[in-house]
Amino acid sequence: MTTHLYLSLIPEALIASMLTPEEFGLYYAIGNAKRSRGQAVFFSVDRDLLPEDAFDLSEVDARCVPHPNGDPKRSLYISIYRVLEKIPRQALSALHLVTDDGRVLTIGPSEHVATEAGSAHLYQEFCPVSPRVVSTLDPAGFTEFITDDSQPIHVPRIVFAELTLGALATDPTTGNAEDLPYPNIGHLRDCLVELGGQDKATKTVLRQMTQEVLFRTVHGGFHVGDPTGITTFALPTLDALEREHFAWWRSAQSTFGQ
Amino acid sequence: MPVWFWLVPIASVMALGAAYYFFSVMMKESEGTETMARIALHVRNGAIAYLKQQYKVVGIVLASLTALFCVLAYVFHVQNPWVPFAFLTGGLFSGLAGFIGMRTATYASARTANAARHSLNKGLNVAFRSGAVMGLTVVGLGLLDIAIWFFVLTSFYDIEESQQVVVITTTMLTFGMGAAVQSLFARVGGGIFTKAADVGADLVGKIEAGIPEDDPRNPATIADNVGDNVGDVAGMGADLYESYVGVILASAALGAAAYYTSGTDVQLLAVIAPMVIGALGALLSVVGVFFVRTKEGATQKDLLGSLGRGVNGSGVLIAVLSLALLWAMGVPNMWGIWLALVIGLLTGIAIGQAAEYFTSESYKPTKTIASASKTGPATVIIAGIGSGMLSVAVPVIAVVLGTSLAYFFGSGFVYSTDTMNLGLYGIGMAAVGMLSTLGITLATDAYGPIADNAGGNAEMSGLPPEVRQRTDALDSLGNTTAATGKGFAIGSAALTGMALLASYIEEVKIGISHVLERGSDFIFPDGTSLAAGAIDELQSLNLMEMMTYFEVVLINPKVIVSMFTGAMLAFAFSGITMNAVGRAAGQMVDEVRRQFREIPGIMSGETDPDYARCVSISTKAAQREMMMPAILALAAPVIIGLIFGVPGVLGLLIGAMVTGFSLSMFQANSGGAWDNAKKYIEQGNHGGKGSEAHKAAVIGDTVGDPFKDTSGPGLNILVKLMSMESIVIAGVTVAVHLV
Repeated sequence: MTTHLYLSLIPEALIASMLTPEEFGLYYAIGNAKRSRGQAVFFSVDRDLLPEDAFDLSEVDARCVPHPNGDPKRSLYISIYRVLEKIPRQALSALHLVTDDGRVLTIGPSEHVATEAGSAHLYQEFCPVSPRVVSTLDPAGFTEFITDDSQPIHVPRIVFAELTLGALATDPTTGNAEDLPYPNIGHLRDCLVELGGQDKATKTVLRQMTQEVLFRTVHGGFHVGDPTGITTFALPTLDALEREHFAWWRSAQSTFGQ
Repeated sequence: MPVWFWLVPIASVMALGAAYYFFSVMMKESEGTETMARIALHVRNGAIAYLKQQYKVVGIVLASLTALFCVLAYVFHVQNPWVPFAFLTGGLFSGLAGFIGMRTATYASARTANAARHSLNKGLNVAFRSGAVMGLTVVGLGLLDIAIWFFVLTSFYDIEESQQVVVITTTMLTFGMGAAVQSLFARVGGGIFTKAADVGADLVGKIEAGIPEDDPRNPATIADNVGDNVGDVAGMGADLYESYVGVILASAALGAAAYYTSGTDVQLLAVIAPMVIGALGALLSVVGVFFVRTKEGATQKDLLGSLGRGVNGSGVLIAVLSLALLWAMGVPNMWGIWLALVIGLLTGIAIGQAAEYFTSESYKPTKTIASASKTGPATVIIAGIGSGMLSVAVPVIAVVLGTSLAYFFGSGFVYSTDTMNLGLYGIGMAAVGMLSTLGITLATDAYGPIADNAGGNAEMSGLPPEVRQRTDALDSLGNTTAATGKGFAIGSAALTGMALLASYIEEVKIGISHVLERGSDFIFPDGTSLAAGAIDELQSLNLMEMMTYFEVVLINPKVIVSMFTGAMLAFAFSGITMNAVGRAAGQMVDEVRRQFREIPGIMSGETDPDYARCVSISTKAAQREMMMPAILALAAPVIIGLIFGVPGVLGLLIGAMVTGFSLSMFQANSGGAWDNAKKYIEQGNHGGKGSEAHKAAVIGDTVGDPFKDTSGPGLNILVKLMSMESIVIAGVTVAVHLV
């Protein structure tokens, strides 16, 4: 059995496991006996691209072994807290999005392509912190801004996704927000209006994630950024989701959150 | 025997032949992939398991009641000797119709999904014509039962000629009770089954486990699919079978009473007119089925139009051809009777349209409920209840106008004691008009669960998006027809109830005649007496005289307290059935949780859940939980009749009918509106799936589930069963009562 390294974002942790990404996603989302459930987002980590001094992996192969009954070792936590900053972007070989009933969608890295210009963006940060913010910056600009170590507020590396804003992106005051699924739309509208009226790049909408992210609201994909650049893990097109990843897409649309 | 009568058995055989033809054409279609066939097999096996259990229980009840009627007829001589057998055939034919409908529906779902892989029209055809099997079987068997009994009784029932028609029609009316008992179990038991499975599947599968709808990993998903068929095919079929035979027989009995003094030939024409109209409607329903077709890429409006072509086409044809038929038959007051028929048809359409308006997501009431979900579940519940209550107004006004006009058309616009029976016959014929095209109307109802199951099958089998789009469109159409179908069933139950109520007095006369024939005098509550053997004098009493002699006046405490009791029964029945769903769903929740806990590999899809166990739990719970409502419905007329006699029974029936009709309509429309408000949000409105608005709407939908599929439709049965039972035991009520 192969030992895999996974970087979990919710919560932030580096985990060794003998399970494949699909098996690990199912296990991570619902546990062993369907006693719990919860959305999960994690990366496959290429061990060969990790800096030698980043983590102590010497014991991993010795400890991550099958159980006496032959079952694979499901999870061995190697590190928690400030994990992402130690893993280079290039080492993140695939992103796995897990619905709360355990369906896994695997997407690979790609060059970041600038999205269409809009006056406002809504970002959900996942790691190392998890506020939801509105910003006038596009994903590349936001990455540059939030990872700029010359600024007092910054992080060394970040994982975030842009969420759809609909008509609010261009018209926060009167744009139709009827069909947006976010709680407290009035507050979101206020934040966008405030953002437009001040010389400010970002404004916090929610201090931290209070519920699961509806994957169907993700606009473009997930981004991993640091001062050296940005990598995007783009979601498949709607047609591809309908045809090739239907089981995952159905679950992603059916989530009730917790 | 008038020659026109033979149209009844001929139409019956032709309707059954058409049903068989549609069934065999459907069976020639492929079930699709191995997965599709496997899923369909699970549903089919579950449906058979449910039916076996239900028929076992119904069999015991039918046998016990038949034995009781035998004792009343042959030992105490307070019952017509044919009643036990008429009762039994009514139950058996209704059960047979339900069985055939269920078998067809469970064979048709995978075939519909597979047909949708080719085109939307093919999917619609397979689903609709399979639904037509149920519709045509119900009317075919109903007409066959009526034809056989009418032929047997007119040929072999040895009775004085002047009394023959009246006695035969009132005797035949009693076989409606067999159908009523069957429908009680099918509709109420089925309603408890389907909602226990549905709520159980949703609460654990969707909300706790986050599994999507119709996912094979959910242990209750097959029970949920079985439930769709149990409630909306077998249950609806048995419900409308009872209404169908009930209105034809009640109208026949009212015709016999109305034209009692016009000579046997005229009287016979009035008696067979409702049967012949039913026969014509059955034939035109077959024709209407062929009108239903659609084009690729059809919108919901196009699909609704396709079904409308079939239903409305049959309606227009019957409106035209029934006039010609009545003219050819030489029925008295031809124009009045024809107008009453047309009024009945229009009333049915108005009720269906009102139900659609108040429950469809295309209209304001449902959109308002969806919008209320933005402020949480409490406002969703309030909006749904408010909208449901308002929705009662239109059908009630439609029924009020319809019955008033039908009465005046029947009586020739004369309101007097002498023409009252003619007016009541007009009301009966309006009910016949409403149900005349039941063959195709019921086809649209039975189509719903077939399309729903086809959608589930397509999802579970992972068919390509264009196919799922087609099955979704067919399913969505089924949601609309389900709501209008329920409205139609409730509206027809109201008219059936009224026709049965009017014919109750005729049964009371038969009960009194048994007393007079035994050589005793009969003394009415007001002191008026009839001497032994005075049958002609009894038959000549008009309706108002009977009311006066029995002191059926509003200020009579016997009437008032019984009316209160009837109104209370409608609420008690709703409460009991609703709690029954809650308890049965709780058992389902426990079982689904257990399976997730104890059976490894369900969530990864490596192991199939134990679907059969969930079906079994729902089946047993349904049969156990429906005992209380069944006892309530069966015991109330007996107890009230034994205490207060005829005035009490009339008060009970009126109280239950007036309250039950409104309450039933309210519950069905509230539930339908909550359901469609949720679906409206799931289309992406107000945040779509997973949003706070969606969570609130799901709560509304869950509350509405027992409203629309258990308690609401169950009230139809309560009203009709109590009326039927009162008719059957009229002889006992006349002979024995405390005050």
